[in-house]
This record gives sequence, structure tokens and C-alpha cells, in this order.
Amino acid sequence: MSEGLIIEDLHLALSGKAPSRKVRSGEGPIARPVLSGVGLSVAPGEFVALVGASGSGKTMTALSVLGLLPPQIHVQSGSIRLGGTDLLQSDDRELNRIRGGRMGMLYQQPKRMFNPRMTIGSHLAEPLKLHRGLRGRQARQQALELLADAGFDDPARCARAYPHQLSGGMAQRAMLALAMAGQPELLLADEPTSALDKVLERQILALIDNQRRQHGLGVLYITHDLATVSAFADRVVVMDGGRVQESGPARTVLDTPRTAFTKDLLAASALTAAQVTSAQAPAAGTAVRIPVQPLLRTPTAGTPLAGTPAAGMPLRIPVRVAGHTPVARTPLRTTVRIPVRRPPASEAGAPAPSTILALDDVTKRFRSNGRGARPALEGVSLSLREGEILGVLGQSGSGKSTLARLLVGVETPDRGSITRTLPAGERSTGDDGTAVQLVFQEPHDAFDPRMTLRASLEAPLLRRRNCTADERRERIHTAVRDVELDPDLLDRYPGQCSGGQLQRLTIARALLLDPAVLICDEATSALDAVTQRKVLDLLLRLHSDRRLSLILISHDMNVIRYMSHRVAVLYQGALVELARTTDFFANPSHGHSKQLVAAARPDPRAAAPSGDYGLDAAAVGLVLGARTSP
Amino acid sequence: MMLFLARRTAALVVAVLLASFVVFLIPYVTPGDPMRKIIRSRVAGDAIDGSAVEALSLQLGLQDPLWTQYLRWLGRFASGDMGLSYTSRTPVVDQVLPALWVTLSLVVLTLAVAALISVVLGITAALNEGRAADKAITAVSQAFIAMPEYWLAPMLVLVFALELSVLPSAGWEGPTSAVLPVAVLALRPASHFTSAVREGMLDALGADHVVAARGRGLSHFHTVRKHVIPNGLLPLTTLVAVWFAGLLGGSVIVEVIFAIPGMGRLLFDGVLNSDIPLAQGAVVVVVGLAVLLTTAADLVHGLLNPQVRMRHA
Repeated sequence: MSEGLIIEDLHLALSGKAPSRKVRSGEGPIARPVLSGVGLSVAPGEFVALVGASGSGKTMTALSVLGLLPPQIHVQSGSIRLGGTDLLQSDDRELNRIRGGRMGMLYQQPKRMFNPRMTIGSHLAEPLKLHRGLRGRQARQQALELLADAGFDDPARCARAYPHQLSGGMAQRAMLALAMAGQPELLLADEPTSALDKVLERQILALIDNQRRQHGLGVLYITHDLATVSAFADRVVVMDGGRVQESGPARTVLDTPRTAFTKDLLAASALTAAQVTSAQAPAAGTAVRIPVQPLLRTPTAGTPLAGTPAAGMPLRIPVRVAGHTPVARTPLRTTVRIPVRRPPASEAGAPAPSTILALDDVTKRFRSNGRGARPALEGVSLSLREGEILGVLGQSGSGKSTLARLLVGVETPDRGSITRTLPAGERSTGDDGTAVQLVFQEPHDAFDPRMTLRASLEAPLLRRRNCTADERRERIHTAVRDVELDPDLLDRYPGQCSGGQLQRLTIARALLLDPAVLICDEATSALDAVTQRKVLDLLLRLHSDRRLSLILISHDMNVIRYMSHRVAVLYQGALVELARTTDFFANPSHGHSKQLVAAARPDPRAAAPSGDYGLDAAAVGLVLGARTSP
Repeated sequence: MMLFLARRTAALVVAVLLASFVVFLIPYVTPGDPMRKIIRSRVAGDAIDGSAVEALSLQLGLQDPLWTQYLRWLGRFASGDMGLSYTSRTPVVDQVLPALWVTLSLVVLTLAVAALISVVLGITAALNEGRAADKAITAVSQAFIAMPEYWLAPMLVLVFALELSVLPSAGWEGPTSAVLPVAVLALRPASHFTSAVREGMLDALGADHVVAARGRGLSHFHTVRKHVIPNGLLPLTTLVAVWFAGLLGGSVIVEVIFAIPGMGRLLFDGVLNSDIPLAQGAVVVVVGLAVLLTTAADLVHGLLNPQVRMRHA
């Protein structure tokens, strides 16, 4: 009981063939290693963060603890013990008692983890009956308490709800209630917040932390985002390529990363929540904090860093990792290659900036069920200047994607107008339909799975009569090299590529048509932190090389802050704020913007302004309550 | 839900009206003069003079515009008057209702048998995916799906009625007489259902929430029983209703071969004898019932699937 979870020297392998029970001796001729000698431990009441890029073996580690590995993956050697019980030697009956009873699990996509045809309440009834022998009234009572603990202000209503009626954040909280139902001693959390925005992420983390403190729960928290968990984790385990690269107390790993991989991870997290101090050595204890932003902009008077860094020049800047005010006493030093944004014409002092896209009082309404639904977009006026990067912020349902669809021309506005003034002569296309291109959120869905990538990239070029097969080939290869990929990749199918590679290819496909404007609709939200950073830097480079204007649609404050010149905030279909990025983050004016900025602030335990802007007021209250209680 | 119902009902009415109009037009487009047939059905003897035709046409309102005639026909039809059969000279209703009862029993029995077999086989196949049992079940059901009834029926009659003499070869009296027709009729839906249940079960088995259920400590058996089977069988409900509608008209061959006095048989006779009122009555009843069943299937699907139910709530 006292020793918690201990994994020792765990080796997992993928049998060479597709899932088939005919693989004779367990290992096919080619057994590819998935995990090679992974060892880690989680003591009772300890919060351990398991960090790594996608594909590093984090999820497989969690699934092997649960004993629910996919059939084609086998445990080759090693041991997994929970409170003295050897999980790998336990039979199914024993494991069924342990799963849900002594350990609970949170998943990356909570909505898919509920049976769509059962209410949340009937889900909760299962572990309550199995592991605690509760039935009927007692079970219902307990279920309501669990939901209340998970931050639902109306637990009865949640218990009656079906999974599809819950938002992503609510579903994850319901999943937490479900995981806690068996009163486990260990919680496995597999990227429970990577699909959620920062506000919700913080709520969930606070709830988990709360449960940990109340019940002495050991937490193994899997994530690719180091910055997020850094404030909560006692220890950090860094994984890459199926091996533990580094592990130790959170403060040690974060302050003095030993491996290059950890440094990369930290650099990627620096984008998501870093504060950069001045390059000139600051007086001890009086670090001058400059947001990353001014460094990337054309330096203006008053910025301590004078002179424009050359594009791509490696620059050594000290980075303070977010959320480590009490931990990282000395600033962490990391070398970051800084891509430089070409400023919009206005800031470079060039002639008056020409507007390339303009929305005038645009309203779009989708009819649903004939009843008066609120418009997806209402009275939005917005303009994009040539060579500008405009960030569009908003939570899900705020009308961001509708905006993108209107701009590309897939939808037409019900009211108002959209004007495109494309730069004359510069673009060879002359075709209005291709001057604005879109990059989608989910790269795997953006390609036809039955076409090779080459065929997918060639398709938009086939429309053009003045393009021979050789020219097409040449242009595709150029575009692919432009996004820093090997053209050999083109003969693969989408299923054989990683998310990062595919997202680069969607960008390459968009570039093939020589667009003047590229709209990225949550283009990096599905990627892990390291890959996200690379794709963002690629976009910055294209922006500066090709004079591409960008519209970045995201719910991620840090992506917006990292990238854009100006920020537009959408809230319930209306444009509530439009400001220069620095002004916006320094002094947001609308209530919703204030809340967004507060949520993106590095220290998750810092006070956030309360207020009900599309959030579950109860959960906000609960987080605040937890903070004020001793 | 009310809105959903209202919309479905409206669609149903439109479909039935469209079908009835086509049926109404049959005598106008069929070769041969319906007038002479009508007179022949009422008057003994072959001699028909022109004035009688003229008088009848006036009496029946055949000079009126088409849509007036249609509305009049529809009104009579709605009040249960389907006209007189040309061949038997009795009201069509009196032939249609007993036949409908026979066909409904045949079809319900068939579907029950098919569903039962397919649930057992489909679940077995899915739980043993890729193994011998799965391969055998899949192969057999694929083979039967392609087997035509007009070939299978005589074969079964040959073996069970003529060679073994254990079952009657024709007629509709007593439970034994139902065995062969139900067997023939159930074979194709059973094959179709089996592959649908197998697919549905495989989808349900692969769903993410099944892993989560195991993660809560549910045993494999319990997970399959509670989270996989109910979800995996859902596609079957729609399929049964679609086949129900299809079999109402599709039982013609079986009813004719086994001399079963059902709707298919009635329709067959009506068409063969150019007995237009009989054919019209049979078609409208079958079409109406089919449309009704399809709508019912949608509703049942909605009731079983909370996502559909709530979207229209």
C-alpha cells in the first residue's frame, strides 16, 4: 500500500504483423520495440509528470499499467507493481478488481470514452457497484457526490445527461468523477487536457490536484506540454523513443536539463508560456521581464534588445520557465533560434498599408431546426493588411471557423460584404478563387486516405491548363522542400505520415496555388508542443520569405501571442476586441479578453478574474475556492 | 420530438399520395379499354354496344378533369371502397384484408427467424474475428445472399416435401405449412442481417469507450454484454424495418410457388388477369404499409439512439 506504483525495466514490442491472433509464438519475425527498459515510480500522494513528444511511448506505458495494451503489443520483460501487487502476473479476475478499483484513468478524448447510449449516471453506477458494492439509492447518492466533487453545480442534471450533451471540459470532469468512483490510490491521466483550451485545462488540473491532496492519490500525468504541469508536478519523467531520457524532481529537471531532448521540450514549452528576460544581465532579483513578442517584432524604442536580429540567427536568450516562480530561481538558459517576422508595412514605415481582405458588417446565420438560433457571426467588421499576421482568438463556438469559411468563400455572408483586394501583378494566378488558402486543424482529415500524397498535392494543379506534368512535378517538389520535407515522402499515403509531416504538406498544398493570404484554422492545435513550434516557425519563415499575409485562428493564447501582429477576439459570434498584440496582452479591454489573458498567464495559481464568460461558473468557483482554503 | 414526428408524418403522407396517384393512373396507361372490362364485369354476355360505353363513361364521370377523378377515387379509397374486382365481381376490400393478414404473419415470422439466427451468428462471428468460426459464418452468409428464391424454393420442396415427405409442399394451413416458405424467405434477410450484426459488433468492439469500460474494471464478458452488444445490434433495427417493407411486396414469388393466399399472390393474380381494381387495391395497401414501416423504423432508431432523439427533441 505504501509503495505506490513501481515500473521496472519494462520492455514492450510490436509484433511485425497486423493484428492477428495467428502470430505463432507471440513475437513475429520482426518485433519492433515500443518501450525499451522503462522504469518509473509514483508514490502515494505524489504528482509525477510523464513528458514526451507524440509517439514517445507515454500512452503505451499507461496502458501497460492498466493491462489493456492493444493485442499486437506484447510485454517482453519487466515488472509493474502497484502497492505490492505484481500487475503483470495477476490474472484477469484480479486485474478487474484493480482497474477502476485501485487505479483510475483519464483519457485524451473523454467524449469518446463514454458509451454514447448511456447516461453519465449509469456509467457511474458501474464502478460503484463493482468496486464498492453500492446499489440503488446509495449508488445514486454517491454518484451525485462524485459529480459535485468534480465541479458540477447541478450533479443531478449531469447524471441524467448523455455524453454528447456535455462539452469537452465537462466530459473530462465527468470522467474524473468516474475514475474516482472506485476510490483508487493511483490516477493515470493520459493527456486529459490537450484537447481543451487553457481555461479548462487549468480547471481540470486544479481538480486533479485537489483530489490528490484530499485522498492521497498518486497521479501519473502524461503530457507533451511541460509548462502546463510544471506548477503541479513533484517529479518529471521525460520519455523519448520508448526510453526514459531523464527523470528527477521537477525543479532539477527543469532547471538543469541534462539531455538535448529535454532542452528541446523546454524550448517548445517556452513558446507556450515563457517570459524572456533581457539579454543584458539583469540585476539580481530584478529581472526585467519582456514578453517574447517584442523580440520578434521590429524592436522599438524602449525595448532593451536593440537592433534587429538577423533572420534565423541563433540567439542566446535566458528563458524563465513559466509557473516556476518558486522553483526556477536562476533563469533557465536555452538557445532559441528566432525566426524574424517581417513587419507589416505600417510598422516598417513603408507607404500606407494596403488592405488585402476586408469584412464589412458581416453576419452569418445557420438555420438549425427552424428555431431562432443566434447567428454564428454577427456584425463583424475586420480588415487584414498586406503582409500582416492577424490572430483570431475565441473559444469553441465563438464563430472562428465560420469566419474562416467566409474568408475562403466556402460560405457567403447573409448580410454585409467581404472585399478582396489582391496585390496587382505580383501573383501569377489572376484567379480570385485560389488567392486565399486554408490550412485545416486536423491534418489526417485533410487528405484523401486512398490517394498518395503526390496525387493529393497534384489535384489542385490539374485544373490549370498551362502546366505540364514536369512543371507540376517541379512545383510540387519545390513546395515540399519549402516546408522542409523530403520529396520522397510524396509516394506515401497519409496514414504513413506523422501529424507534423501532414500539416506541413497541407501548408505545401496551399502554397502551390501561390496564395496571397493563408488562413490557418487551429492549424497546430492537434500537434504536440515540439512539432507545433516547428510548424509555427515554418509559417513565420514563409510569411517573411513570400510576403504572405496570415490569419491565425486559434484558442491558444500563446500561439497567438507568439505569431501575430494584431489580435481579434471573437466571443459568441461578435468581434469584441481588436488590438495590437502587445497592447492586447498588456491591457485587454473586454471582460472575456481579460479572462483569456488571465488564463494564459504563466502561473496557474495566480488569481484570475472571475466572471461567467462561457464557462462553468461552478468550476471557476471551485478552483477559486480551493485556492483560498488553507 | 413533436416537430420530428410532424415532419416525418408529412413526408409519409406525401409519399403515399404520390404512390396512390401513380396507381390511379394505371388504367389510363394500360393497353386495352378498361371501360369494356368494367361492362363485361357487370353484364353477362359479350355484346357491348357503343351507347352503353358512352352512358357508363358519363356515369363514372370520366369526362371530368383528371384531378377531379383522382380526388373522387382517393375519397372512395380512403373510406374503404376499393371497387369491385373484375374477375370475382366481389369488393376488393374483402379480398385484400384476409390476404394482408396472411402476408403479415408470413413476413413477421420470417423476420423473427432471420433476426434470431443473425444475432447468434453475427455475434459469434464478431467475437471470433479472423478465426475459423468467423470465416465459416461469413462465407455461408455470403453464399446465401446470392441464392435466388425461385431456385431455392423448388429445391426445398423437392427434398422435404417430395423425397422425405415431412412437410407440405404448398398451402397455408397449420404451422407445418409455414416452415418451407419461411425458410426460403428468411434466408436472404438472415444472411444480410448476419453480416450487418457482425459489422456492427466489430465497430462496437473497437469503440474507444470499450477500452474505458475495461479500464473501470468491468470484465470482458460484462463489457461485451452491456456496452458492445446493445450498440452493435442497433443497425439491425433499421435493417429489419427496411426488409419488412421489402418483403411485403417481395414475397410474391414465394407466395406463388407455395400457393399462399397472401398479398403477393393477390397482386400477381390481379396483374395476370388485368383485374385493375384488385391490383390497385393491393399495391396501395402494400405501398402504404411499407412507407409506414420505414417511418416507424426511423422513429425506433431515434428512440434507441439518444443522439438522434435529442437532436429532434
